[in-house]
Amino acid sequence: MSKDIESQMRAALRPVAPREEFSQKLLTGIALERPELKPRRLGAGRRQPLAWWLTASLAASLVLAVGVHQRLQQQRAQQSGLEARREVMEALRMTSQKLNLAYEAVKSQSTSLTDEHSGA
Amino acid sequence: MNDGATDILDEQLEKARCGERSALTLLVQRHQRSVYSLALRMLGTRDLAEDLTQEVFMQMSGNLRTIESNRHLGFWLRQVTTNRAIDQLRRRARVQMRPLEEEAHLFSAEENSDPLLQRHLQALLAELSPPARAVVLLRYQEDLDPVEIARTLEMPVNTVKSHLKRSLESMREKTSGARPARCEDNST
Repeated sequence: MSKDIESQMRAALRPVAPREEFSQKLLTGIALERPELKPRRLGAGRRQPLAWWLTASLAASLVLAVGVHQRLQQQRAQQSGLEARREVMEALRMTSQKLNLAYEAVKSQSTSLTDEHSGA
Repeated sequence: MNDGATDILDEQLEKARCGERSALTLLVQRHQRSVYSLALRMLGTRDLAEDLTQEVFMQMSGNLRTIESNRHLGFWLRQVTTNRAIDQLRRRARVQMRPLEEEAHLFSAEENSDPLLQRHLQALLAELSPPARAVVLLRYQEDLDPVEIARTLEMPVNTVKSHLKRSLESMREKTSGARPARCEDNST
């Protein structure tokens, strides 16, 4: 009995077709809604590799520009470091010279005082 | 559906994804009876069913890239159609409840189809809640098993089984002409 009811329900509930005008309207509507679904022209598929190459070269150029900029900055920093080092060395050299002069002056003064005492 | 037909439809799906309009047309033609019938029997009127069918296929054409195979497409269409129909019925219930239209086109016009059974079936569908109605339609219209129905409607298998059991009992009562037990209790 249950199987009979089930098979009767299956028979009554078989899918029904929509109106023909509706089917046409539906297909037209979908085609209009998606204009990109129009058939592609020959060669249209080649646009994709071209776009890929363009993107890749732009990305490579960007990476190169960033690399060059960083390298220049590094060189500038290195140069200013060397300049500072040179200035420090120069200052030390000058200080050393002054100290030597002072030492020489003190030394010659003490020698003349010793001679004066021994002469007396 | 045999493997050859499935392969051809999978191929058409691939072509439709690439933008071939004729392939998309074929897929719509292949599935429109199922989608339209579900919408019609869920919502009860031809106008609402046509609107829903159109919305579902519009959504499908925008989502072709996410659909893996023709089998998946069938599942996706049934899921979207039933979910949208249930949502519509719930919204409509908040405003006013409209019964299913008494229109002959709700059922298949087969020679051996019993008009009395159709009337009982119509009454059954009208009295069911939207999810229970979807369960009955997916079982007897789409011939899905309870597990597939549960997956489509995202509900537990036991809920699907109890909906089916209650619907069959109700249908049996209607066809046998017996009154429900509680009515008999009231009359005594």
